[in-house]
Amino acid sequence: MQTDTLSYDTLDSRPMPKWLIDQKSGLKTIQAEKLVMKEDNSLKISFVATGIFILVFVALLTVYFYRKHKNHTS
Amino acid sequence: MKQEYLKIILLAGLISLGCTTRVSEWVLLNSLANQYTLIYFHSNPISETIKKQNQTVAERIETANIQLKEIKRQDITEPYYGLYYKQRLFSKFKTTDELIGLTSSPLREKIAAELMAGKLCVMLYLKCDDNEKDEKGLNTLRRAVGSSPFREIITVIELSRNSLEENHFASVLLNVEDDLKGIQEPMMYGIFGRFKALEPLLGKGISEENINLMIDYFTAECSCLIKDDLPGTDILFTDKWVNPKTALLNKIIDDNPLLGY
Repeated sequence: MQTDTLSYDTLDSRPMPKWLIDQKSGLKTIQAEKLVMKEDNSLKISFVATGIFILVFVALLTVYFYRKHKNHTS
Repeated sequence: MKQEYLKIILLAGLISLGCTTRVSEWVLLNSLANQYTLIYFHSNPISETIKKQNQTVAERIETANIQLKEIKRQDITEPYYGLYYKQRLFSKFKTTDELIGLTSSPLREKIAAELMAGKLCVMLYLKCDDNEKDEKGLNTLRRAVGSSPFREIITVIELSRNSLEENHFASVLLNVEDDLKGIQEPMMYGIFGRFKALEPLLGKGISEENINLMIDYFTAECSCLIKDDLPGTDILFTDKWVNPKTALLNKIIDDNPLLGY
C-alpha cells in the first residue's frame, strides 16, 4: 500500500495495508475482469443474405424464362 | 465462424487453468521481480579509476534485479550511489565498500530456498529490539501459524532491524513503506513469489486475525488476470528463480478440499 501521501496522528490511526483491507472486506481473490460477450449477428446476417440471394436468383430466373417463353410463342 | 469458436474454447481453457492456481504459486511462476536502480551521481567527469570501480560494481550485481546507471548532477558536492525502487530513494552509499552484500545475504538465500522448495510463504518477523514488544508479537505469530492448517508450509524467520550482517535486507524491508523506518515496533512481513514482501503488519496489527487473513491471501484462488495491482515490494536479490518445486499447498488442498474455499 502506498501510505506515502497519507498522514496520521498515531500508530493506531495509521491506515492498514490495502491487501488487508481487501481481505477484511471479503475480496479473497484478485477479481478477474468481466468478459462481455458481443452479440453474434453473423447467423442472422447469413440467413438474410441467403434469403435475398434466393429471391433475386428466383426473380432473375423467372424473368429469364418468361422472356424465353415469350420469344418462343411470338 | 470456426476461428471464433476456437478462440472462445482456448480462452475458456486458459481461464479454467488459471483459476486452479493459488496466488502464492501463480506469483512465483509468473510475476517477474521489479527492477531496482543503483545510480552513481557525480558532478565531475568520471575518471578511469571510477569507471573500473563502477564496472566491478555492475559485474557484482548483474544477476540481481538491479541495474547501474551514472548520472551527472551539478548540485552535489561529492559523488554517491543512490538505490532507487520505483523512483523512490531507498538508501545512499558513499563508497563501494558500503555496497558489499547489497544483493545477497545468508538470510535472503535461506528465504529464497524455502520459496523455491514450494513453501507457501516465509513470515519474516522484523524485531525492533525491544524485548517486551518483540516477544508479544512473536508469541502471537507462533500461535497463529501453529494453529493454521498450513503450518507445515509456512516458515517463520526472525531478524533484528539492527542486524549488521543483514543491514541491506533490513533496510529494504524498512523501505517497503516510506514511514516504516521511524516506527519502533516489531513488523511482520509475508514474503512470497520471487521475494515479494507484502506491506507489513506492525505493532498491535500483528494479531491472529490479521495473520490468518494474510495466510488466506496466499492460499486464495487467483485469476489468470493478476497484473499491475499485485501488492508488495520486490526485495533486492540475486537468485534466478528457475524450476521451483511444485507448490506444497496443492497437496494440502487436494487432501482437504474445504481448505481451498
